[in-house]
Amino acid sequence: MKEIEIEEIKRLAGLSALEFDDEELEKFKGEFTSILNFIEEISKANVDGIELEYPTHDFDDLRDDEAVEGLSQEEVLANSPSTKKGSFCVPKMMEE
Amino acid sequence: MDISKLSLLEIVEKLRQREVTSEELVKYYIDRIEEYKDYNAVLEVFEDALDRAREMDEKIKQGFEGKLAGVPVIIKDNILYKGKKATCASRFLEDYVAQYSSTVVEKLIESGAVIIGRANMDEFAMGGSNENSAYGVCHNALDFDRVAGGSSGGSAVSVAKSLCACALGTDTGGSVRQPSSFNGLVGMKPTYGRVSRYGIVAFASSLDQVGPITKTVKDNAYLLSVISGYSKYDETSKKEEVEDYLSKIDGDIKDLKIGVCSEVKELVKGLPVEKTYFDLIERLKSQGNEIVEVSIKDLSLVMACYYIIAPAEATSNLGRFDGVKYSRREKGCQDIDEIYIKSRTSGFGKEVKRRIMLGNFVLSSGYFDAYYNKAKKVQQRLKKQTLDALASCDVLLLPTTCGEAFKIGEKIEDPISMYKEDIFTTLANITGLPALTLPCGKGENGMPLGMQFVGKEFEESKLYNLADYIERRRSEWNMI
Repeated sequence: MKEIEIEEIKRLAGLSALEFDDEELEKFKGEFTSILNFIEEISKANVDGIELEYPTHDFDDLRDDEAVEGLSQEEVLANSPSTKKGSFCVPKMMEE
Repeated sequence: MDISKLSLLEIVEKLRQREVTSEELVKYYIDRIEEYKDYNAVLEVFEDALDRAREMDEKIKQGFEGKLAGVPVIIKDNILYKGKKATCASRFLEDYVAQYSSTVVEKLIESGAVIIGRANMDEFAMGGSNENSAYGVCHNALDFDRVAGGSSGGSAVSVAKSLCACALGTDTGGSVRQPSSFNGLVGMKPTYGRVSRYGIVAFASSLDQVGPITKTVKDNAYLLSVISGYSKYDETSKKEEVEDYLSKIDGDIKDLKIGVCSEVKELVKGLPVEKTYFDLIERLKSQGNEIVEVSIKDLSLVMACYYIIAPAEATSNLGRFDGVKYSRREKGCQDIDEIYIKSRTSGFGKEVKRRIMLGNFVLSSGYFDAYYNKAKKVQQRLKKQTLDALASCDVLLLPTTCGEAFKIGEKIEDPISMYKEDIFTTLANITGLPALTLPCGKGENGMPLGMQFVGKEFEESKLYNLADYIERRRSEWNMI
């Protein structure tokens, strides 16, 4: 049985932009271990000789490259928790 | 007239004959939503529903003949309807208001439908019980102590409890078919690309499809004709002509070959659905249908394949929820990273976090080839095997679920036992093929058991024809 380390869970949390307290991490470790064993079959599957095909033919028929009316600035910003002068607003990222 | 006993087609006819008005129907359903609010199927009744109904009544008087003229419909909470909230049953999108309508909503409205509300669901469509909703569990329409199924649980219960004439759900791994089965309804996951995904909050974009949930097969065929079709805003939607599925139902199934998969026969052994499955095979055989033995060798890998591809895509799709653009931002954050992390941590529920983490795992360096890449290859082989199986028959017969709707709380602490419930439904998503469920029996607790037919691409009409044939003989065959 494959087991996952707490450090690995922490790394994934970082990639996921999520935070867990120690208790949650422990619980996650158990759940994740069983999920990994559940999907483990795939890593054992023999896929020799299979070349992945990408369905590019579906994209032959793209729209003309013309400027069309989209959502207005107001509509785009309507759901943002913080906006200023027509922009999304976040805390300052760089020192002056 | 007892509106709760009417099918969608009967409602359409009564509206046309002016035996009932849209306003009367909407009032009736709003009262019923209130009466059955403990079931928690509907998250919001739209306040303009009655106005819109009166407007439609006026149009009907003037001769408007849209397919759904005046028909009250409920949509799943991940389907955008301009000016209305769409929360995906998540805290994260608690205040999110759609700024445009999805293609399916536009099609509903063009055909005259009155969208009366939005239905509960598993958060971001992740789950198979509707227990993962930030707004509470949705209860099964037939047994309050059992799960509604998911993720489109609220949509299914809305139809089963007659809180609307019909409903839309979305299906990424069985989310229309499983709750339909659990509530004794008909549910369709159309061919990938048959229905536009524009304006649906994406879960796993290569698998998601919108699907109708109805009381009868004919209702379902009728509703699918309305919502199907190409949209220039979704390049994966297809230009194939939209059939009038209802008119294709002709009761003639004698030449239809039914594929029975040896791997499925093995899998159903010992499951509560076993008898219903074999009974239906015998029934169809006795009707003169040829039963063809087929094989999908990699079927046992379909679940692992699904639980790699779907979370991988979900991880990317849910990256947009960053505390900047949509609805939620945790207060008091000092910098942008804190906004991302705190907003997501407090905004997402357990199952959503689990799947984001799993998605990042299978996509991260060192694991990408072992999991994601392999899953994509297995998917390709599964599709080929399934199409090969369908080369010798018209449809494949599978159970929809392992058994009856389970008890609320029974599986929620054990994600694996919950995931395993999807064993028969994920094949249609992984292969992009259409699949329909209809009730074909009852389990030992008297709850409905659904059977599923999987067809070739764009052959939804064959599924409807066969399902309608069975539906009309169900009582004669002692199935319900």
